[in-house]
Amino acid sequence: MLVLSRQRDETIMIGDEIEITVVDIRGDKVRLGINAPRNVQVHRKEVYEAIKKENTASANVQIADLTRLETHVKRRAAGSGG
Amino acid sequence: MIIQTSRFGEIEVDDTRVIRFPKGLLGFPRYREYVLIESGDEATFWWLQSVDMPELAFVVTDPSLFVPTYQVPLRRDQLADLGINEPEDAQVFVIVNKQDNLLTGNLQGPLIIHVAKRMGEQMVLSDRRFTTRVPLVELPTPVEAMSA
Repeated sequence: MLVLSRQRDETIMIGDEIEITVVDIRGDKVRLGINAPRNVQVHRKEVYEAIKKENTASANVQIADLTRLETHVKRRAAGSGG
Repeated sequence: MIIQTSRFGEIEVDDTRVIRFPKGLLGFPRYREYVLIESGDEATFWWLQSVDMPELAFVVTDPSLFVPTYQVPLRRDQLADLGINEPEDAQVFVIVNKQDNLLTGNLQGPLIIHVAKRMGEQMVLSDRRFTTRVPLVELPTPVEAMSA
């Protein structure tokens, strides 16, 4: 990993198109401003990882689960309780 | 085309029903083509089945059926990347998971599908109001299974 020291308002370039600027530093919190082309998605890593993890878990739902679910939802919609 | 699936056996679907996710889904970047399979009459839930991987399928639903206030805050340029000019061209689905008897929807990572072009993408929402496990519906304890 490349490690760089930057002060407030200083910027790092990644390639020709991505700019990361240190906007503010307070205690252990750093605010970063990111300029990137619109085809480069920028996310907090923990959100990205959470969705990835959830996708993996969701891939294990089996057909019996859904059959039960459909029956339940239909009963509820029909107003017959259940 | 014929698709091999672990859940439904061999199924035949029209080529025009294949939905392409150029970036794949998060965690599954290699699998980019899926078909939507209705789970029954007037389906509320569908299976999003991978064309290339028989075991890979997700239950998906229309989140507005369960969370009427849910809106995906997409910018026009994000929509444009999918070839979507009008918001009406886009269909939103969320992936469903099951925790015991609770069905949850991943509202933080919705799937946006351009219906006419059959192109899709999983979005990552930074909005902290949405989580990956929003409760959708609770299932009753399966009495039938106990008597069977």
